[in-house]
Amino acid sequence: MAAAQETSPGLLSRVSTMVGNLIKVTTTKSRIGQTPRQAIWTLNKATLYRYTPVKPPEERHRVPLLLVFALMNKSSILDLRPGNSFVEHMVQKGYDLYLLDWGVAGPEDVSMSLEDYVLDYIPRAVRKLKAVSGSETFNLLGWCIGAILSTLYASLRPSEGLKSLILLTAPLDFTDTEQISLARMTDERYFDVDRLLQAFGNMPAGLIDYGAKMLKPVENFVGGYVRLLDNLDNPKVVESWHAMNTWVNDAIPLAGGAYRQLILDFYRGNKLMKGTLTIRGEKVDLSDLRASLLNVIAQDDHITPPCQSARLLEKVGSTDKQELRVPGGHIGVMAGSAASKSTWPKVEAWIAAHSD
Amino acid sequence: MSEAKKELEVKKGLDVKKVLRDVRDAGMDAWAKVMLRLTYSHRYQRLQGFIAKPSLLAIALFRKTTESAMSGVLARLNMPSRGDVLTLSQRMTHIEMVLDDVGAGFDQLRRSIPTTRPQRTPSHDRDIGTGPPHAFSAKEA
Repeated sequence: MAAAQETSPGLLSRVSTMVGNLIKVTTTKSRIGQTPRQAIWTLNKATLYRYTPVKPPEERHRVPLLLVFALMNKSSILDLRPGNSFVEHMVQKGYDLYLLDWGVAGPEDVSMSLEDYVLDYIPRAVRKLKAVSGSETFNLLGWCIGAILSTLYASLRPSEGLKSLILLTAPLDFTDTEQISLARMTDERYFDVDRLLQAFGNMPAGLIDYGAKMLKPVENFVGGYVRLLDNLDNPKVVESWHAMNTWVNDAIPLAGGAYRQLILDFYRGNKLMKGTLTIRGEKVDLSDLRASLLNVIAQDDHITPPCQSARLLEKVGSTDKQELRVPGGHIGVMAGSAASKSTWPKVEAWIAAHSD
Repeated sequence: MSEAKKELEVKKGLDVKKVLRDVRDAGMDAWAKVMLRLTYSHRYQRLQGFIAKPSLLAIALFRKTTESAMSGVLARLNMPSRGDVLTLSQRMTHIEMVLDDVGAGFDQLRRSIPTTRPQRTPSHDRDIGTGPPHAFSAKEA
């Protein structure tokens, strides 16, 4: 009886915490991307942000770092939440940090292609970055499709001051389509990209989300919620789940032209690796990429399996190049709870060695 | 395992919750593997394509119909069509690009002209580091 009296209030408070957490995660959005920053340049939907440095200029690294994320998800994954933010980590380490955010493509951006992003947006953002930072050189970090854009830029504009290039889970090589589940999903026998774009204009966010989740349906549609239910009374896990869930369900449409190019030239044509890719009439030759290169591969990545970037080092013209294999999946490698111990220190150490 | 620990385990008896959780996890693992094999198969992709084809055709047709109907209405009201607005937006982006280039050109020119006045402090040095953020205008540089 005494034991029951003791446990009842404990059980009640636990249940009420769990219910409260459940209501919170299902009815609200987590606040993500909280590191202070200022918009220093805009063009159409794109915005270049500069993160407010926390260290005085003399303690900062000399070479600024520009982050470029994918086109179909929000870049806030790089700054998920305080204590689990790559951006916050890098700012605290003394980097002059910039982020090129692509914004949300609208109906007027249907015809925007990779050419526009690589040759119109990135060079102008870089020009602004140089003007603001006062540095003639810069480092560039690209993640996912951002890594494709960064690679194209680095190959086409090798003499614009790019000192080093960091690629995270870069989908560049489409030779082994049987291992690349997204390539199978977009196989020309089953998937008509032109018909899809005719129907929607841009690639809708919902379809991108569905496609990505169907690569691991049980884990994505059920497993995540089971993990949440198991940990509903653990505020740390709930907070982290809430932030990630907010980001995952906040996908954005991908400009039709760029999507078409990704499917036809990359997933089906593998033109970059074959050396037949042209961007606005300019041939993209990976041997022209001469900046120092760090190629980060996530060992458990099911969206960009390791085979998609493993051959990059032998193709580029860089003399200073390194491959880094880290445990984790496509997103977890940089935003997972273990990323701050497994990935960030290694990536940061490499960047630090190329930033002064 | 120490004797005391073993004793504790025996005293605790069977943890029903843990067993149920293990069974559930094993079931989910098996389900995940089955689903993965299914969604990775060419047969599944073919089925998905088969379903998508008529749906996309219907959506495209609906879109075309509503757009042409709306264009007619807007034309009768003497208002710009969707196409006009989209073209205008693209032209605005182009103008924005040109202005950005002009601004950057002026800035470069300003930096290259030697002046008797004390030279403009580069933005980098103006940065007050740990102080509150100061806003940069998009056209500043």
